[in-house]
This record gives sequence, structure tokens and C-alpha cells, in this order.
Amino acid sequence: MSGQVAAIRSRDEIESAIRAFTDADWARLHKVAHAIARYYAFLRRIEPEDLLQEALLRALDTRNCPAHVDVVKFLAEAMRSIAHGELEKARSGPVVVSAASSDERQAAFLNYPDPSISAEEEMIDRQNAAAIRRTILALFDDDPQAWVIVEGIMEDLSAAELREMSGLDETAYDSKRRLIRRRIIKEYPEGWKP
Amino acid sequence: MTENKNPDREALDRLADALVDDILNTSDEDMLAEFREGHGDPGHHADKMRALFEKSVLTANKQRLAAARAGAAASRTRSSEATPPIDIAEARRRLRAVLDAPDAPKELTLAARKESELSDADVLGMLEDLRELGVLPPDDDSDGKP
Repeated sequence: MSGQVAAIRSRDEIESAIRAFTDADWARLHKVAHAIARYYAFLRRIEPEDLLQEALLRALDTRNCPAHVDVVKFLAEAMRSIAHGELEKARSGPVVVSAASSDERQAAFLNYPDPSISAEEEMIDRQNAAAIRRTILALFDDDPQAWVIVEGIMEDLSAAELREMSGLDETAYDSKRRLIRRRIIKEYPEGWKP
Repeated sequence: MTENKNPDREALDRLADALVDDILNTSDEDMLAEFREGHGDPGHHADKMRALFEKSVLTANKQRLAAARAGAAASRTRSSEATPPIDIAEARRRLRAVLDAPDAPKELTLAARKESELSDADVLGMLEDLRELGVLPPDDDSDGKP
């Protein structure tokens, strides 16, 4: 560790970078917003457009985009973070409100989730996740190479391991990954729900 | 995408992350072709997004103005003396110090773990809330003002 603090883009630099986005950049962000919104739809509906707009606002307002990070990737990460925050809220984390002097608002500030509800929701989430995992794998029953890649991604294998296990060269592997993405998106236009 | 001990959910998290990574790594040419197939003219879409971005810039500016006004109003109520402008970096440092304190209430750290993602207005609002709850030390009430 050098001990140096990473340079952060100024607000003007972020604005300039976004104004310079190409049509492909905006198309990419559109696709990312939809992919994230679809995934998190298992617990809470998130509008992709709202997700992207919130990410843009966050990029402008919090100004924490490191200079070495591509702004498109930064916005994609911001969208993931926002969606994850929504998920945490939906999972009934502690409620935080603007605390004023009244006892009721103070009580709300310190409110804890009902553990019995959380346990029930957790059980339902486990069942739903298992069902979605089975359904997604079943989409590739007719394509053993794609099946291996999908299962391998879910088991956290590296790209090199996935290529080796599927027996595909780099180009064929990339093409297969594209097919996988498109097939999953087609299967779940309204979100990954069982 | 999430942190839990549900192996199937964790597996789906990894798959969802991989799909997003694939989108980010797709070439411009392929991305434009894919967009055309499913959503029409990417140029038209980009124009709409550019307009949305300009709107976001205005919204962000309004939020900054509101934060500055809120800070100024709060300082006026605390003191009749003229006060210097808010140092938002100092306000963020102060909030971070409260959240990082070993005896910080767990619910606070959960709610505001990512201080860097809070807007300036959120930071000032949270400091105000902490003061009213008595969490902020009584002698530490300047909200980032030097």
C-alpha cells in the first residue's frame, strides 16, 4: 500500500464524462439497469429508469467516482448498490426516520424488525431462490455447454475454468455467454421470480 | 449482489453479477445491434437519456441548494452570530467518526454504513437527527462549520 489516496473525479469531470457518452454507452446502461431491476424484482419492484436516474444523481451529488474507474462502470456499480439498498430496506432492516423530539418518532428510529417475520421471509426466499436456480438451469437442458457455464458461474468458477470445462475457445465462450444472457432475459422479462 | 447465507440466493447473485459484467464487456457494435433488435433506434434512446441527464444535473443542483439553505437555517437557529459556510467534508468526517465509534448504536451503523453514498443534504440531516437524539457529543455541534 502506498498510502496515497485515490484521486476522485470532480463533479465537472463527471458531468463532462457523462455528456461524452456514446449511443452505445447509453444502450449499455439501459441494459444494465434492466438486468439489475429484473434480478431484484424477486423482492421489490424497481423501475430501471428510476434506478439509472438515481445513479446519475448519486454520481453528481456524492462525487466519489475514482478517477481510474470508467464512469459507465461506476454508474453500473451505483445501480447495484442502490438496488441492494432497496433490498435491505425490503428485508425490514431497522427503520430510520428523521428523528424529532416526539417519543413516537424516537421509537420509530430505534425500531427493530420482527424476528418471526424475518425468519418466515427468509424461508420463503430460500424456497424461491432454489426454484429459480432450477428453472434457470432447465433453460439449458438442450445445451450442455451452456448448462456447464451457468452452473459454473453460480458455483463461482473462473472464466478459465469455465472455458476448460465447456471445451470452448475464447470466442465461442463469449458467444455462449451472450446466448445465456439473452435466454435468461427472455425467460424473465418481468424479473427473476419463481 | 446480496449478503446472506442462502446458497441458492448467493449462486443467483453471482449469475446476476455475471450477466451485468457481460453487458459491460460487450463491444459497442454488438451492444448497438442488440439494442436495435429489442428496443429500436439507439440514437433516439441516447437523446432521451441525455435529456434525462441534464434534468438530473438540475435536480442535483437544487438538492445542493436545499442542503445549503437547510444548513444556513439550522445555524441561524443556534446562534445569532454570523457563521461561516458549512464545510461538508468536515460534516462527513464528523458523521463517520460517530458511526465508527465502538459504542455507536448498531441500528445507526446499519442505516448509514455507506456514508460516502449519502448526499450532502442526507449527511446534514443525519447529524441534526443525531444531535436531537443525544448521540452526538454535546460539545460537538458545529455540523462541519469550522
